[in-house]
Amino acid sequence: MEKQFNYIKGRYGENIAKEHLLKKGFVFIESNFENKIGEIDLIMSDRDWLVFIEVKYKSDNRLGAPEEMISNNKIWQIRKVAESFLVERKRDVGQYQKYRIDAVCILGDKIRHYENLN
Amino acid sequence: MLTKVWSAANYGLEAVEIETEVNVAEKGFPGFTVVGLASKAIEEAKERVKTAILNSDLDFDTAKITVNLAPADLPKEGACYDLPIAIGILASSAQIEMPKDKAYFFGELSLDGSLRHSRGVFLLAILAKERGVKKIFVPRLCANEAAVVDGVEVYPVDSLKVLVKHLRGQCLITPLKYVESQDLLDESVVQFDFSEILGQESAKRALEIAAAGGHNIFLMGPPGSGKTMLSRALPGILPPLSEEESLEVTKIYSITGNIPPGGSLIRNRPFRSPHHTTSQVGLIGGGSNPRPGEISLAHRGVLFLDEFPEVTRMSLEALRQPLEDGNVTISRAAGSVNFPCQFMLVAAANLCPCGFLGDSKKECKCNIHQIMNYQKKLSGPIMDRIDLHLNVPSVDVNKLMIGESENLAEKSENIRKKVIAARNIQKKRFENILRVHSNSDMKNKHLKEFAKLEDRANLLLKQAVNKFFLSARTYFRLIKVSRTIADLEGSENINEGHVAEALQYRIRTEE
Repeated sequence: MEKQFNYIKGRYGENIAKEHLLKKGFVFIESNFENKIGEIDLIMSDRDWLVFIEVKYKSDNRLGAPEEMISNNKIWQIRKVAESFLVERKRDVGQYQKYRIDAVCILGDKIRHYENLN
Repeated sequence: MLTKVWSAANYGLEAVEIETEVNVAEKGFPGFTVVGLASKAIEEAKERVKTAILNSDLDFDTAKITVNLAPADLPKEGACYDLPIAIGILASSAQIEMPKDKAYFFGELSLDGSLRHSRGVFLLAILAKERGVKKIFVPRLCANEAAVVDGVEVYPVDSLKVLVKHLRGQCLITPLKYVESQDLLDESVVQFDFSEILGQESAKRALEIAAAGGHNIFLMGPPGSGKTMLSRALPGILPPLSEEESLEVTKIYSITGNIPPGGSLIRNRPFRSPHHTTSQVGLIGGGSNPRPGEISLAHRGVLFLDEFPEVTRMSLEALRQPLEDGNVTISRAAGSVNFPCQFMLVAAANLCPCGFLGDSKKECKCNIHQIMNYQKKLSGPIMDRIDLHLNVPSVDVNKLMIGESENLAEKSENIRKKVIAARNIQKKRFENILRVHSNSDMKNKHLKEFAKLEDRANLLLKQAVNKFFLSARTYFRLIKVSRTIADLEGSENINEGHVAEALQYRIRTEE
């Protein structure tokens, strides 16, 4: 039950992030791309960049800011999944030469977008 | 915003200025990175600094924080960068203002924001004086260490909260005045009084000479004869450290974190007795960022090695060069460091594995092969560097039964007075010579000037050297011991009696 609730919350956050980025002019490509290493929440394009996006949603910062939940390990994981995504979907996304990882942190109704984590 | 905070790193026996640059950027993904060859302890500083700031009712902004410890090519270790990093973050986020004059910040933070005892504060104060830095902020627990150095204002800091108030000008910290550390014998080191040791008069006399001149001494005898007891009683007759010696010893103790909280200058001669399984690095010093070993911790004091032949051969032979030179250079990938180690070696040993070789009552059970193997450990070069060789025979039971009133043995206190008198003569003698404090420190070139032998003494020494095939090193060492014996008597020249006594400790008679 608990797990199911987390899943719904995550999807809810991802939708908010997606809407936010679409307004900024990003183009949606795919969401929740998974393999055995992990998952990428959103994959979108921003002009000539292909952007892999990690979404963190927190209703309040009782347990810390959402930014704190994205560790170096998580970024490394996204990188690995992104690599396999690029191999798998070479035909669809082959025109993109530049890649980056972004994060969207949502705290209550505040949305913060960070470009190019490394 | 970028802030620069000054601090220092300890390298060998010196402190090096370190510039801690802290940048708190509004843009970019929030995080906390430390660069500049930081060790694991500094990596972990992130957590300490963050928690300490939050627990001191201050703000820790979610921002991209980058800390650079410059110069970037010098490896840094230890937790003393916590305070400069915390101050840098607070100043960069406009919560405090940095003092206008250059100041050093140094210390390890605890999670509640208080400052912990940190290593090397004494060296920091010396560096501050050299560089003309007027103010240093250090943990209160080790502030007295730094306060010895005059010309530097030492601010004792209890916690981050107090320091922030000081920097905001709300509640000023008063600089610490040096509190004299007590010049008393440390009772915990002196386990026995010489008057408690019955018999063994010649051994006591030899230890008195050794203490007076800082000579190396080797005690051998069967188990239970009192070798260890005699050695343990030795700290009770050692003279206190002179001003200059005290500074040298304090440096080493500060860097190894051996100065207790609130303590300051070391006044008592160190007495180190490492166990015989101590590794070579533990004894000599070493490590990737070189640290002093037992011989350096025993600088200007005593290194007592009980069960001498049980020490690994590698460690024993490694003592050769430090024993002769009084300093040791340790070269590692990170660089090379020189540590002083002018110590007095006190070694105790049995003569064979069963221990009873040469005992008048009990028979030795070892075969010749075992004995040879055991004594092979005591190599020529090492034994050559020891001035006083002494047999400590087992004590007659009748001597142990005497009452309090019949005990004529001298008290440590009285012996110490004689030793101090002899040391004072030496102090006057070597006043103008650098790094020579006692007769044993003398170089051969000083002997002509300071150790004049009377004609008959000279003749006796010559005869002995020829007859017993003594080495050149032994010859010079004998003169030094004779000098000390003469000093104990207060005699200006060395006569044949003094030489004869020195010879008696030198020549090993096989019984």
